[in-house]
Amino acid sequence: MADMAWVPTTMLDRKFVPRGVTRCTPARFSLWLTPWCLLLGLGLWAAYLCLRDGLLHTNMDNRFAFGLWIFLDLAIIAFGGGAFFSGVLLYFFKLKELNAVIRSAVLIGFLCYSGAVTVLAIDVGQPLRAWFTFWHPNAHSMLTEVTFCITLYLCVLAVEYLPVLLRNRQFRKIPSFLVFEWELHKLIPVLAGIGAFLSFFHQGSLGGLYGVLRGRPFAFRESFGIWPTTFFLFVLSAMAVGPSFLLIMTRVAEWVTRKRLVLESVYVRLARVSGWMLTFYVLLKSIDTMVWLNSTSRRGGFLPWEYYSWEPFGVWILFVEIGLFGFVPALWLMRAGKVNTSWLIAPALLACAGVALNRYVLTVQTLSLATLPFDEFLSYTPSWQEVAVFGGVVAYGVIVYSVLYRYTRLFPQEQER
Amino acid sequence: MFPGVNGFHWSPVHIIFLSAFGLVLSVLLVTLAVAFFRTLRDVRSGRAGAIAWHCDFEDLPRQERLCRHAFEGAAPGRLCDRGFDCRDCETHPKFATIETRWPVTLPAGLEYPETRLYHRGHTWVEPQPDGTALIGLDDLGARVFGAPEVVELPAPGTKLSVNGAAWRMMRNGASVSVRSPLEGEVIAHGAPGGQWQLRVKPEAGERAFRHLLSGAEAHAWVNAETDRLMILLSSTPTGAALADGGALVADLHQALPDAPWDEVSAAMFLNC
Amino acid sequence: MSATQKTSRTPRRYGMVIDLDRCTGCGACVIACAAENNVAPGAARENDRNSISLLRVFTLNNPTAAGRRTAFLPMMCMQCEHETPCVTVCPQQAVELDVLSGIVEQMPQRCLGCRYCMTACPYHARSFNWGDPSWPAGMEATLNPAVAPRMRGVVEKCDFCQSRLHAAQDAAAVNGSLDPGIYTPACVEACPTQAITFGDWNDPEGALAKSGETFAWLEGLGTQPKVRYRSGQNWLHEMAERGGAAPAKEERHG
Repeated sequence: MADMAWVPTTMLDRKFVPRGVTRCTPARFSLWLTPWCLLLGLGLWAAYLCLRDGLLHTNMDNRFAFGLWIFLDLAIIAFGGGAFFSGVLLYFFKLKELNAVIRSAVLIGFLCYSGAVTVLAIDVGQPLRAWFTFWHPNAHSMLTEVTFCITLYLCVLAVEYLPVLLRNRQFRKIPSFLVFEWELHKLIPVLAGIGAFLSFFHQGSLGGLYGVLRGRPFAFRESFGIWPTTFFLFVLSAMAVGPSFLLIMTRVAEWVTRKRLVLESVYVRLARVSGWMLTFYVLLKSIDTMVWLNSTSRRGGFLPWEYYSWEPFGVWILFVEIGLFGFVPALWLMRAGKVNTSWLIAPALLACAGVALNRYVLTVQTLSLATLPFDEFLSYTPSWQEVAVFGGVVAYGVIVYSVLYRYTRLFPQEQER
Repeated sequence: MFPGVNGFHWSPVHIIFLSAFGLVLSVLLVTLAVAFFRTLRDVRSGRAGAIAWHCDFEDLPRQERLCRHAFEGAAPGRLCDRGFDCRDCETHPKFATIETRWPVTLPAGLEYPETRLYHRGHTWVEPQPDGTALIGLDDLGARVFGAPEVVELPAPGTKLSVNGAAWRMMRNGASVSVRSPLEGEVIAHGAPGGQWQLRVKPEAGERAFRHLLSGAEAHAWVNAETDRLMILLSSTPTGAALADGGALVADLHQALPDAPWDEVSAAMFLNC
Repeated sequence: MSATQKTSRTPRRYGMVIDLDRCTGCGACVIACAAENNVAPGAARENDRNSISLLRVFTLNNPTAAGRRTAFLPMMCMQCEHETPCVTVCPQQAVELDVLSGIVEQMPQRCLGCRYCMTACPYHARSFNWGDPSWPAGMEATLNPAVAPRMRGVVEKCDFCQSRLHAAQDAAAVNGSLDPGIYTPACVEACPTQAITFGDWNDPEGALAKSGETFAWLEGLGTQPKVRYRSGQNWLHEMAERGGAAPAKEERHG
């Protein structure tokens, strides 16, 4: 009897699955989605609590005004940088291999950004006033730049993904949809171009967010013009981990679906690009750290050892970020093609961990450290609501990605095998 | 936003900042508008069919995109990169001169008369002395789909484009769009259940038929297509298999009611 | 009153000098500040890290073993003058430095609650309304009608009792002047030892100019705070010259 109930669902499901690829049964697919839906439900409940009663459901406080949410938002926006960077590499540097992952990259970018914006909407005290930034913009604020860029970039990503959606088996039966897809696809380099412009500025401004904090000597950096060095370091690090994150996600998708989705050469290309960018980033990051510790910080009256004398934020954190999570994966990724391709996920994970650690240090360590000489070093543990909201966003990403993987052609090379 | 309102004040930085984002927003909107108006233009000028076919062709599985010369052995495994439009293909005339290496016999029971020309979407074309051409489903296509419950033919006067949609037929939940073998104008409809479906006035000249298969070449293709059909049917969950060497029944759809006919028909008629 | 008088209003740079040697740590200023500015009484969940505290009093201990001394340090918004950290970061101009008064103004009705200004402030002088403010039944009657209570989800801070500045402006206008002169913020009024001197840094004859040698906290950051301190005790000067918190436990208060 249970089988009978699935028959109409199966029929409907098959009508949307692209022809020429195999997908698991709807029952199995629902089983996969169930835990993610539960997590999403928990996240929605926690978000509702925060919106209903205010942010007293979080463990943030007047010193820890930014917490888990901001740290993870910065990290996933860096990971989502793969969307714009692979677009640039594919359409402007003509790395044709990336055609195999560009649709997945755009979708991952969209999910990362929309997830981050959702968390931000819960993180701010008065989300209904978000439009004020467009109405009373303070053009000097890095956050204004971030808000403008991310809003526009979300639209760009949605438009970039639209063609993939329009090629769904049912949508494509409407001939003008396909024609629109075709005409839009011819203009994709324009979208990739403005996507790169917007990404450059918001990835940068997210770094600038901390670099301009004159009142936080741990975060404050030297400036080139109006932009502090963290502006450029954030752009570079996003370009470095974007391809790495794409590599990880593609591998994970291959494990979950038990299929080969792209050719091995695609992994090698992603890893090499990531490796080169990471090397460049880590070198500049090292120089920046030296300048900051020896010059910028001292001028503000702060000695470098003061930052690193509080457990657990010892000097080790600096060496882990730059060495273990920086140079090691950079050299490993650059050797892609000469080393075992299936192991490349390890340095890719290290690279992502390094950039996440960078965002963590800039958010959490900056706020932990006291500025006033008599003030205390503080710590903070996120509440379950904070964790749940973020879990809900991850679940949202997994669910949308799974559904679109099932019903659209995310990996053009999938059917060739 | 407006100077003086709630103490808002403009500075040169505001002007640079807002102009930059205004510019980006306009580029995005203009891009969308250009795509939209080009779509309108394409649909009005009748290019919609050709463009839709181009998109469909890109998404066809690899084994459905083989070059016509792959079947008779001149170019084994070669993929077509022109959407099955050999009319302007530069390599097609060269391959056509190569002698076929593989002997071909038509699968038992199938009829592919030499007087007709065949299209990769399982239709035939029969040029008439009056300059028109008749179009109908070929033998394999007819056996796969059987007797359709509904046939939606284009009104006389409709312009058809090669590989664009010619007519739509439905049976038991399965629905396919039959691809047009010719470019031309629909003149008349065939009798329901009759041999031919459409009478078309094709574009003038020899070129109009160059992309169609005939004779031994068509037989080689039908052979490959029969194999493909068997693979499609045997890989389905129903487990139905066709004995190799036996004759195909007249109505496969009726003989194997549980097969996923939506899938199979889409694959045979090059629908996406 | 002529038109020239109107346009030639001299800008003021209101500020304070707090004499640490006079401060007894009684906390009257804190109470007066909360009452003046309609800060709701602390809810059960609140602590010193998440409550609304526009003015705090820190206890400082002499780090050296010999001559152990204790001082009390009232701290509010320092009204930074140069590249005011909170003003430059606010995405929607909810924080502005008023050029006529030198006060860093906070507009809660325009605040989004992003808390970027709080991370930017080196003095941790800003508070966020983590929940809805609430007053016990009957206590609403004690609210100051001149100050709007803030809603949840917005940031607030000391603005040198701007409602009192506005009242002073109104009073001046009645007399045909645009200059509010030197008014008195609530904490200044409440201080029993007159440790807080409020005045105008632009006035060479004013009380601030006559307050002698003063110092500020975190002067190295270059934000030019307009709240300055004075003390005859050297260890306080030395502490103020240091940057961040010293990690040795015995040196810290707390």
